[in-house]
Amino acid sequence: MTMETKVNVTNLNLWYGDNHALHNIELDIYKNKITALIGPSGCGKSTFLRCLNRMNDLVSSCRVEGNVMIDNKNIYDKDVDEVAVRKRIGMVFQQPNPFPKSIYDNVAYAPLKHNIVKTGNDCDDLVEKSLIDAGLWGEVKDKLNTPGTALSGGQQQRLCIARTIAVKPDVILMDEPTSALDPISTEKIEALMLELKNQYSIITVTHNMQQAGRVADYTAFFHLGDLVEYDVTETMFLNPKQKKTEDYITGRYG
Amino acid sequence: MTEEAIRQDNISSMSEQQSLPQEASEQKKSAFNNNNGRSSDNNIDNPFYDPTLKARHAKAKRFKFFTIASLVFSIAFLSFFLVDILVKGLPAFKQAYIQVEVNYNEKTLESTRSAIDRKYRRVVSRSWYRSIPLQVEKNPALMNSSQKVWVLADDNVDQYLKGHYYKLKSKEVKLIEELKSSGDVELRFNTSFFTSGDSKIPENSGILSAMIGSILTLIVTMLVAFPIGVMTAVYLEEFAPDNRFTQIIEVNINNLAAIPSILFGLLGLAIFINLFGMPRSSPLVGGLTLALMTLPIIIVSSRAALRSIPDSIRQAGYGLGLTKIQVTKDHVIPLAFPGILTGSIIGLAQAMGETAPLIIVGMIAFIPDSPSSIFEAATVMPAQIFTWAGMPERAYIERTAAGIIVLLSILISLNALAIYLRKRFEIKW
Amino acid sequence: MKSFELKNKRSERIEQGITALLILASVISVLTTFGILFSILFEAIEFFQIRSFWYFMTGSEWSPGVADSKFGAVPIFAGTFWITAIAMAVAVPIGLGSAIYMSEYAGDKVRDVLKPLLEILAGIPTVVYGFFAALTIAPFVVKAADYFGMDASFNSALACGIVMGVMIIPVISSLSDDVIRAVPVSQSNASLALGMTKSETIKSIILLSAAPGIISAALLGLSKALGETMIVVMAAGLRANLTWNPLEDMTTVTVRIVDALVGDQAFDSPATLSAFALGLVLFIVTLALNIVSLTMIRRFKEKYRINTL
Repeated sequence: MTMETKVNVTNLNLWYGDNHALHNIELDIYKNKITALIGPSGCGKSTFLRCLNRMNDLVSSCRVEGNVMIDNKNIYDKDVDEVAVRKRIGMVFQQPNPFPKSIYDNVAYAPLKHNIVKTGNDCDDLVEKSLIDAGLWGEVKDKLNTPGTALSGGQQQRLCIARTIAVKPDVILMDEPTSALDPISTEKIEALMLELKNQYSIITVTHNMQQAGRVADYTAFFHLGDLVEYDVTETMFLNPKQKKTEDYITGRYG
Repeated sequence: MTEEAIRQDNISSMSEQQSLPQEASEQKKSAFNNNNGRSSDNNIDNPFYDPTLKARHAKAKRFKFFTIASLVFSIAFLSFFLVDILVKGLPAFKQAYIQVEVNYNEKTLESTRSAIDRKYRRVVSRSWYRSIPLQVEKNPALMNSSQKVWVLADDNVDQYLKGHYYKLKSKEVKLIEELKSSGDVELRFNTSFFTSGDSKIPENSGILSAMIGSILTLIVTMLVAFPIGVMTAVYLEEFAPDNRFTQIIEVNINNLAAIPSILFGLLGLAIFINLFGMPRSSPLVGGLTLALMTLPIIIVSSRAALRSIPDSIRQAGYGLGLTKIQVTKDHVIPLAFPGILTGSIIGLAQAMGETAPLIIVGMIAFIPDSPSSIFEAATVMPAQIFTWAGMPERAYIERTAAGIIVLLSILISLNALAIYLRKRFEIKW
Repeated sequence: MKSFELKNKRSERIEQGITALLILASVISVLTTFGILFSILFEAIEFFQIRSFWYFMTGSEWSPGVADSKFGAVPIFAGTFWITAIAMAVAVPIGLGSAIYMSEYAGDKVRDVLKPLLEILAGIPTVVYGFFAALTIAPFVVKAADYFGMDASFNSALACGIVMGVMIIPVISSLSDDVIRAVPVSQSNASLALGMTKSETIKSIILLSAAPGIISAALLGLSKALGETMIVVMAAGLRANLTWNPLEDMTTVTVRIVDALVGDQAFDSPATLSAFALGLVLFIVTLALNIVSLTMIRRFKEKYRINTL
């Protein structure tokens, strides 16, 4: 099975002011796979995730050097429009954050602004498809005009996933998508991730190793700003090559 | 100056980047040719180039520009305004004086206008003539002598020398020019602005009586508003149970803060003057009216100060067996006092600038002499400014502006004092 | 044990006395509101006993000086409305724009300088604004109108409205700034992550969330404009002039109140009492605006659970 690299990271360094937070990260993310980023708090996994869609640009004290190649183009090049980057690389956050709009408008907002569809039937179809793909359609199809904030936590997160895929990205970044949710919602979202990977490449940060074990094809272990180990999930969990990895997985620290 | 700061890169680097056209590069063509409805890739060498974004980025730039322009307008207006006041008002701090020969004898004491040579009579201030008998009284040696004295000039001379609109006859202008070349006319520091009260004679009018009126009025205001305001704040923060009655009081205070000031004047007129029969135009009535207006500020800021004292202080007191009143009086209030004081100073500053309600209770009478009690008719600084602004003589314009400069200086000092006190005594719990 | 009880009784009475004193102080603010309401209401009712209420609210001739004095307040309401409208047209865009810049674009250091600067605008006494309006802006409006071949009065509504608008800018910008900053950053993160530009995020998401607070700020500004006295007394006209033209002179409710009460007329004359009738209308309208505004702010605070507003 040939694996296509979707994101190729080389020599990635990041500073918050004087704090050198990420050291020389080198990583290949593969297409249509789920890659999990694990590690103890403060290890830099979320910071690394945010490098992939240039969300770190929003922090004024943040400086990034290195290459994040997507489709053979370094997204940190000067001639790259970060808005175009974020169109191709979507993000789902830890706390579900639907907009104070209706469910329909939540999903339709970005595609309309990007001119992917125009208002009308095309838009309705896109909203429906996105909600179906996010596993939410059945529960909301009769109340598309009600506020997105009135949904339950798990539903809100699926709504956030729906609006992300409505923009038709290639890659979906997920920053601890289930840590604020109850176990049943978590289960639903994990099942959703396994389905979505057929269409998208998914990179997820999780502090829950069992979750990584359940959904991820590949896992990267971060520690204090370094990428310690990156391997097929099963291999890493059963046969970690680095001692630090082994210590983390066996719960020596966490 | 502000725009420089804006251009600094201290701002979040989320500045809108215009996508530049892809320059010729050695990058091999992207394997990504599949354009199935995903974000448009017109330039296949750079998958992150999107011409449709140009318009949106331009819009974003214009929006940001609009917000900057708004801010710049506000600051520009403020600067323009301050400069205008200074330009109009600073000249008032200088006043024209003429050196003339004055004869002091029996005849001139009676008909003072004959004390100086005829040709000077109209260029000398009318008010100065009245002072001749007083001068002799103070200094009897002047009697039956002839002195060269520096004398206050008429306001039209003053305005002429300052280059403003004046009403002098051409021979008077010639005279002044002659005096100028012989060094007998000069502009000096205008002490009478600070030492005299209002006057129908512009060159003689000053802000003293208004200042005294302000001081008396504000003393009444703070004597009434401070205790009542602080007591209300203490009650609401420390003692009041969470019931309907408390809610009514809180709603009332919020509303009171937003009632137009002129309506307080109506209250003062109808109740303090008509019903209680207090003397109209007095600092007593003005002070009481202003006190009611200042209450909300003192209450709100005192409550904030009290609220910022952590509960552990109170708990410690109760733990020692103190009563609620003892805890509040001996521990909470002293700790909150800097915040309370700051709020009161700000309230005082606001009361000092109030005009409308005081006009309604009559404090725009013509007050040449400073009031000596809170029951006499008086005026306050902003009302004096208002009155002068309506006077026809040109010389009053600069006095009005000078009065504004004095008032603003006092207000700035008070606010600076409040900020200093807040920073100095601020305890971060 | 006995002395312990005795001491309790005495200190209890002192405690009760002091608490009563505190309650009494607190009640004064309530008394004040009712005092204002009743003093105005009482005199206004006297006015409406000698002049028609209906004509007051709908009539368009205001001539207090003549023997058969008429008191139709429509021109006064219209003048008030016009000047206020001009003021809001100045204050809302500039105030909101300034607030957006300070909360969304400016860095911390810049903000720390700009915010106090705008507060200075709020601290300037209105009589000073009035002087500026009458002696600098009004002549400027006349000159500018002349340049375009139009006639402007030295008491133009435009001059008053502009200066009043500047006075209100800090009301709107300060509250809007606080409200915009209260919107959680997760909202803007979500929007930006979807590939929206910053201005799109601000317009579609942040302002949407902050809308109740911003509207509330506008209402407070409106209330302040309606009740403003010194600027209009010094720069606006006395004539009850019903017109659409902002270059003409008009008068407002507050100007007429002052004019009616600083003359030498008898207190019971219709002219003097008309001030209270106008005052009653002003009181009711500003009260309604304030209540709506404060309620909206309260709900907004509850929604985002903030204590700083």
